[in-house]
Amino acid sequence: MKRMCLVCQNIDCKSRGSEQLMGELEKRIAAKGIDDVEVKPYMCFGACQEGPNIVLYPEKSWYAKVNVDDLDDITDHLAGGPHVQRLDTIDSSLKELIYQLLDTGVF
Amino acid sequence: MEGVLFPRGVPEGREGLEKYRSRGGYDALSKVLATSAEDVIKQISDAGLRGRGGAGFPTGRKWALTRETPEQPHYLVMNGGEDEPGSKKDRVLMENLPHLVIEGVIISAYAIGAAKAYLYINAHYEAATKSITDALAEAKDAGYWGENGSEFSLDIEIVPAPHNYVAGEDTAVIEVIEGKKAWPRQKPPFPVTVGLFGKPTSVNNVETLANVAPILLHGVDWYRKFGTADSPGTMIFALDDDVNRPGVYELPFGTPLRYLIEECGGGLKNGKKIKAIMSAAPSCAFLPPEKIDTPLDHYSMRDAGSALGCGVVRIVSEGTCIVEEVLRIAEFFAAESCGQCPACRMETSTLSMMMKKVQQGQGGQPILEQFGKILAFNKGKGFCSLIVMPGPPIESAITLFPGDFEAHLATGKCPAN
Repeated sequence: MKRMCLVCQNIDCKSRGSEQLMGELEKRIAAKGIDDVEVKPYMCFGACQEGPNIVLYPEKSWYAKVNVDDLDDITDHLAGGPHVQRLDTIDSSLKELIYQLLDTGVF
Repeated sequence: MEGVLFPRGVPEGREGLEKYRSRGGYDALSKVLATSAEDVIKQISDAGLRGRGGAGFPTGRKWALTRETPEQPHYLVMNGGEDEPGSKKDRVLMENLPHLVIEGVIISAYAIGAAKAYLYINAHYEAATKSITDALAEAKDAGYWGENGSEFSLDIEIVPAPHNYVAGEDTAVIEVIEGKKAWPRQKPPFPVTVGLFGKPTSVNNVETLANVAPILLHGVDWYRKFGTADSPGTMIFALDDDVNRPGVYELPFGTPLRYLIEECGGGLKNGKKIKAIMSAAPSCAFLPPEKIDTPLDHYSMRDAGSALGCGVVRIVSEGTCIVEEVLRIAEFFAAESCGQCPACRMETSTLSMMMKKVQQGQGGQPILEQFGKILAFNKGKGFCSLIVMPGPPIESAITLFPGDFEAHLATGKCPAN
């Protein structure tokens, strides 16, 4: 199974540019030659105030308030680089809820 | 059976002005105009009339709150959006008893001090719209309403209602009348203080308004002979094609559910047995067949673990798979979420996606534990009640029929097929 880069596309994240982020991520991932990651839209992670939200699965890294300037760091992480700590701000109980959901195959 | 709305059974055709007048039609209006609005509200409160749109809010209280708000003008809105799947009571009332409905509208406007009433009618309801339009003209010619009609001035206007489910929510109704999208507003403020065009507004369901004239004509004691002390009066229930005699039935509150299904509906088609009952489809909990003697009133249904809603009773027969039933319900709410509140979109779409996985046999037992967590996470969020609606059917289905879920999860196939 390909690794997934799930980008929230609910109202809030979309209004903060998550559609453009998806397109831009796809380009940068391709430019880096990463071929085992699929960028996919996701309905909602329930952290609307913290959007745009991106979740890497099965790594289980959740990046919040992402903007275009953060995408190179996220792409580096996908290529084996370090976790982007400054974007890791989501409460652990919400993370747990969403990760459990993803573990059951809901994406 | 004698009733409040259908004294001679469900009417076959449209009742015109003369026929309505011959049974005391518009006499209640004459009585009302000779008394104070406060007294009218008191009689409706004493009768114990509650809203028939689903929430069951006391009508007299709603009117009093509207009337007492000093801001002017006041508005009355008749809610005939009726987009609940399977509901047809308001259509039947508007088509067949238009003057009963209109007399209720005029009296209600008088009670709350409104000079303008909007009749919000499902745009699919062509016959009902025509029936009401014609009856409005007849009643206006007869001097029951209009600028110089009766003893107070009243203008009445019909507004076609969009077809989506949420367009029947009272604040969404107000938005549509204001010319906007059918999106519910955040409450409070409630429409009784800040409603249509920001003014005090009473939004009442068609069936609620149809009860008004009979109560005032025959009196509170007469009305209270129907139903129970806690739930006086009657309610119209709708049965769908799963029974031998589908249709609408007016029954006193407190009538056992069994009477509706067996005596009125003639039991399930082909002699099938009942697997589950939804007393307020599609947003209530499933009831097991042993609850068939539960009285049809808000309190008893709540105590039984379900709800009464607006009286759409759906029966699931043996051999039907609950997973398929509840998947349709989850998909319905996901499709009908207006998209305004992010939490509602998140919840309804996630639940629907999860139920689809269950149906396809993915996710295993752990996925069943996630439903409650997603519902709990979204509790208290969203502007309207749509966000809470998928919960009762989904959670009760998982609790009552674990076998159907296990079968789907184990094989990906439906046990009913």
